[in-house]
Amino acid sequence: MSKFNNWKAIGTVLGETDINEYHFSLKNYKAKKGDIVTTASRLPSTDGTVIPVTVWGKISSIERFNAFFPAEAAQELTNEDIDIRDTILPTTKDELRCKVIILGYTEDGKEKISKLLPLNYPVMPAAIVKYPSSKDVEELFISDLDSSHPISIGNLLARKDVEIKIDGDNLISRHISVWGMSGSGKTVFVRRILTELLNLKYPSFVLDIHGDYLGFVQKQKKYFPDNKVKLFYPNLSVRAEDKEIVYTLIDKLGNTLTDPQRDFLNSLLEKIKYEGGSLLQYIKLLNVKAREFASSGSTSFKNVKPASMFVVARSLRIVSKKLENMEQTNARHRRKMSHLKFEELPDSATEPEKIISKGQMSILYLRGYENLPASAIVSIVLENLFRHRQEASEEIAPFFTVIEEAHNFIPSRSENKDDIPSVDTIRKVISEGRKFGTGVMIISQRPSRVDETIASQCNSQVVFRIVNQRDQRATTRDSETLSNDDAKQLPNLANGQGIISGQIVNYSLPVQIKFDEKLINDDIGNENFIDTVENWDDKESVKLRKKFAKDFADINEIDSRRAN
Amino acid sequence: MTLKVDIKDKIKQNSSMFVNFIKNAITASPKVQNNFLEVTTKVAETALKIIKDADLIVDLNYKGKEFWSINRCKTSCFIDGGVDRTSIISSAPLSIRAGSYIVKPDATSKREFFEESMVFLGDLYDPKNELYDFVDDDFEEDQMLNKKKDGARIIFEAATIVKHILLNKKFDYCFLHGPLEATVMPFTVAGFPTFTKFAVENMFPFISKNSSVEARHFINAYLEALNYIKKSKFPIYGIVETSNSAPYIKNLLFNYKIKGTISDKDYNSVIKTIKKYKITDSHILEIILSSGQALKPLEVKKQLAGFTVTSGSAWEEKMDSFPKVFIGYIKTSDNQAPVRIESLNYPKHLIKDYEYILGTSRLLPNYGFPVGLNVVDKFAKIPNWMSKTSRKYYATHLLRQAIKNKDQNTVSLAVKILSKKSRSWKNRPIGGISK
Ligand SMILES: Nc1ncnc2c1ncn2[C@@H]1O[C@H](COP(=O)(O)OP(=O)(O)OP(=O)(O)O)[C@@H](O)[C@H]1O
Ligand SMILES: [Mg+2]
Repeated sequence: MSKFNNWKAIGTVLGETDINEYHFSLKNYKAKKGDIVTTASRLPSTDGTVIPVTVWGKISSIERFNAFFPAEAAQELTNEDIDIRDTILPTTKDELRCKVIILGYTEDGKEKISKLLPLNYPVMPAAIVKYPSSKDVEELFISDLDSSHPISIGNLLARKDVEIKIDGDNLISRHISVWGMSGSGKTVFVRRILTELLNLKYPSFVLDIHGDYLGFVQKQKKYFPDNKVKLFYPNLSVRAEDKEIVYTLIDKLGNTLTDPQRDFLNSLLEKIKYEGGSLLQYIKLLNVKAREFASSGSTSFKNVKPASMFVVARSLRIVSKKLENMEQTNARHRRKMSHLKFEELPDSATEPEKIISKGQMSILYLRGYENLPASAIVSIVLENLFRHRQEASEEIAPFFTVIEEAHNFIPSRSENKDDIPSVDTIRKVISEGRKFGTGVMIISQRPSRVDETIASQCNSQVVFRIVNQRDQRATTRDSETLSNDDAKQLPNLANGQGIISGQIVNYSLPVQIKFDEKLINDDIGNENFIDTVENWDDKESVKLRKKFAKDFADINEIDSRRAN
Repeated sequence: MTLKVDIKDKIKQNSSMFVNFIKNAITASPKVQNNFLEVTTKVAETALKIIKDADLIVDLNYKGKEFWSINRCKTSCFIDGGVDRTSIISSAPLSIRAGSYIVKPDATSKREFFEESMVFLGDLYDPKNELYDFVDDDFEEDQMLNKKKDGARIIFEAATIVKHILLNKKFDYCFLHGPLEATVMPFTVAGFPTFTKFAVENMFPFISKNSSVEARHFINAYLEALNYIKKSKFPIYGIVETSNSAPYIKNLLFNYKIKGTISDKDYNSVIKTIKKYKITDSHILEIILSSGQALKPLEVKKQLAGFTVTSGSAWEEKMDSFPKVFIGYIKTSDNQAPVRIESLNYPKHLIKDYEYILGTSRLLPNYGFPVGLNVVDKFAKIPNWMSKTSRKYYATHLLRQAIKNKDQNTVSLAVKILSKKSRSWKNRPIGGISK
């Protein structure tokens, strides 16, 4: 009770209340949406006595209206250029009505603020609503989180001085989805989490599409001297058992094949045994063999005409060309960052400990790869890593996987991208991961395009700004803890402001995520094209070309000159 | 010559006139219908001539920006009462309130105050209610209940003004939404209950504690209140939007009859015509006055005895002793009938006061009456108890008052009443639950 008395009164509970929510009339400017507020109440306890308690709640919406301002007065004010403050019109008669979602109650008269208990008796109408001190709110959050590994992620959006922590144990053993439009702050949040995991020596595996996580590699010595940060580039190597993936890749990357052509491809895969190693080499081999069979008019394939074989061969060439291109693009990007050490991704089947190990963060740099091959790569690696966790031997430690651009790896069924190899793998990892300590974080700008069943298995959620209505709907669809009031706030969030909900926090809270600027990779930095152009100097080849172009133009001009 | 055409045109453009015309067309005889336009025109013409002769028209000045830069320093109080809509169940709790909106635009700290000046929540049929003494209503129940409600509202409005005077408020203006002196005739019916000793003592402390039961009757209490209000240091005006009768025109004609300028015969016949065609001040003045023009006030006797109910009754003499009322008109906008301005004294600063009314009305162009009254009207309006949303709204509203309980300015007589002990007097209701 003593604590309650020290807090400032900010309003009065209105009308009908229940155990889930209440409304109150707020004094001007005394609280904001997302603020934590309290009201004193009395509850029947189990032993029949009535106990004084403090009920904690979160302001989930505020309505403001000036019912006393007649709209037609606006005409005259405008026409005559009158300042409303000079007139007798009411300027202060705003009614502020707040909706409060009840979080729970704590018993009064205790030294420390205890864990929140679910309210089982409505709050008192007409009770005074108070604004608890930041220190007490923080104390509540901490004791309520009751976490042995709290992870600090930022502060309560409405209050700078209330730090928000999430439960690290829940984070890594369950799954979490991070939604938000481009530039809303998803990656900044993920970097925050990864930083804490590094500090906890917890292994992580990050699929980095754009190079957003290279800062960890660059700054490892400075900020994470006791950790290892490994940077891998993909190597498309498959084990013989992964024939399915090979088939899918060829089928999807190459030309569309008819049924007889598909039969031929299948038989080809049977015949030409794959010994593991580079997939590209294997596909090249298949191409050569297909061509041979076609030109020799081989009859070892029933009902397949040489023409069909040629089609398949051509398709295989296309596939190998594409894969080569992707590899080259990736390599080109890598070369730009020559001081960062890139290593070829170790074989996850045989050397998983090179990818997952205590205190190590492994980044798989996927830039340049199209969705399908990227998905294949991811599928193979995750499948292997998961298997190593699953098996009794437990060859690797528990680890945390970060999947950026998740809509590419686990697209919604409505996207009609079936046969994306990573879907099944990730679904398996997510649905069984709890048992094996393989927590996953999925990140996407387009939650509506992410597989619904996988998304709904994420029992924690962080949602940043979302304007698109379909994506807004998807966030509430996938979440049990995110309310419609929360969803309404989504388009208005600024960079780095998100609503965090689910098991890592107990209830949804609007949070300003802490921005670790130091973790930005200075090398790629922001794409500052204006500076680039300012410092632009044509390459030698271009200079030469320009020079020649001038000469050719001269020739042309002379040639077309009429003699007169 | 052109005047006639002018007036006819105006009638045609004038919507309330037109409405009246339609009404007449339905109820009146064909002859009345045919003549309506002609007659009204003729009456208006004649009235205008007399008004000009008496030099009653004044032109008011209004320049928006300038007006407000001059008047931003003025403190104005707007008062209105409200009663909840007649509920189907007569035993449902009744709510009667009077509120004040007090505003000083350039105030340094707080520019505006909303006061719940008087509140009654309860059941007027409950013998233990604290407003009216209990009588067994022989009279038709509904009718009596309505009269009790009206009486309560009128007395609350008066009590609110009295309260401001008692508390020595420094207003530049005080406006009441409605007549400053109401017609008391309806409350002279036999069996109309007296107010409780408790209520009268608290609303009007100047009424002697030892006075008789009769002194607590509406008529007596109201008369005392009006006499007290008449002595106010600040000007107080009642603002009436539309007139259903023609007190101004009739009085004007009457004065001219007394002077001998109009013959008794002409006077009687024109009064008869006005009645027959239901011509009101609003109709006639709407066409005579242009926007921004006003009519100087005339002194009018409000309480007219002689109707069947009152004639010979004990109240007849009493009604005669009610103060006379000064009635003037201002046409505040092109598309509205002039508003009636009532005061108990002849305005000391007629032009300035009327210009203030005009200026404040310009902020409510479609209604054409002081915007402050619109504000307090909304504040005092009692929402339908049946509807959930309005109940919530009302709760919000009352509770805001409760939050502000440290505000000395909201101290009101009702607070005193509350402090005595009470269930039904609620100045500070607590979420509908009494302690
Ligand atoms: N918590 C924060 N505090 C301050 N600024 C932030 C925060 N979060 C993000 N920003 C700003 O917004 C920029 C973009 O954030 P971020 O890279 O996290 O976006 P994103 O949601 O990952 O976008 P994309 O979907 O395009 O990858 C950051 O570089 C930073 O300038
Ligand atoms: Mg990002």
